[in-house]
Order: sequence, then C-alpha cells, then structure tokens
Amino acid sequence: MGWIPDEGKGLPPPGVVNRNSIWLGGMGWCAAMLHNAIKHRPPLKSGVHRQVLLTTIGWFLGYHVTKYENYVHAKLDREMNEYMKLHPDRFAPKEKKTFAEIVEPFIPVR
Amino acid sequence: MSATGFLARSLFVHRVGSRSVFTSSKRDTNSPNWLRVGLAFGSSVFLWSLLFKQHSGDVLEYKLRNNID
Repeated sequence: MGWIPDEGKGLPPPGVVNRNSIWLGGMGWCAAMLHNAIKHRPPLKSGVHRQVLLTTIGWFLGYHVTKYENYVHAKLDREMNEYMKLHPDRFAPKEKKTFAEIVEPFIPVR
Repeated sequence: MSATGFLARSLFVHRVGSRSVFTSSKRDTNSPNWLRVGLAFGSSVFLWSLLFKQHSGDVLEYKLRNNID
C-alpha cells in the first residue's frame, strides 16, 4: 500500500473479515438506508445497489485501515521492546511474596 | 415612498419579462436508472475482487518474507 513502508509487508495481513471492515461496511450500509429514509423511500427495500456499493466501499477501506493499524502497533511494540532491552535496570522483575507472608494473624475480637 | 409602497407597485409589473427554454418534469421513480444500477453493482464487484486479490497477495508476501511453507 502507499502508506505502509516495506518492513510492514512482513506482518501477517488481516483477514478479509476484520473489525474495521465490519464497522465501516455497516456505516456505509446505514448511510445508504439513511439516504433512503430522508428521501421518503422504503429504507431496506429500495436502492439495493446503493446499499451494496456503500457497504463494499466501507469494507474495502476498513481492510486497509486494519492493515495500517497493525503496522503502527507493531512498530510501537518493537520500539518499546528495544527500549526495555537497552535499559534492563528499569524493568527489574519484582520479587513476589506469597499471601502467607503478608497476611497478619487473625485475632477475633468478641 | 415607503418600502412597502414600492413592493405593492411591483404587483402591477408585467410578470413574464423574459422567456426561458428550460423545461422540467418530475423524476420518474417507477423505472430504475439501469445505467446507474449497473455501474453501482459493477464497481462493487470490482472492489470485492480487488480486495480478495490484494488479500491473497498480502498473504503470499507475508509467507515469502518469513519463509513459511
């Protein structure tokens, strides 16, 4: 794609059915139905070609939006992991205490 | 003369001062515009096929780059 550089092509591509596609496709469909409703046409039954076209455009755009989103998240994750590798002193694992060591003895007050 | 006086006199002005060649009729909603319907469905088919082609190209590229299969 135009906005994803070469390194992003090594990422697993999103499926044809993905969250952004479903949302934008649904938005396109609702836009077509709203257009019908404003023009006093039956919302679902009329202008099926419009509904199909707007849903398709939304679905197509959603696929590329998901691809770009995956690329941006992968880049951020890589930068974060590299920083953590360069500064291990800031990310020392905390020693874990069991619950038995923290809990005080139970003295019921009657 | 007041403004309303001027407006009242405009009633007596000859209405058709110019003639126009434009005609208009109410849009016929019973017969669909088949050209537009065909274009809409055709572009939908085109976009879906483009999506599937791009998706399979992306999967192939991913597998090539990471040496899977």
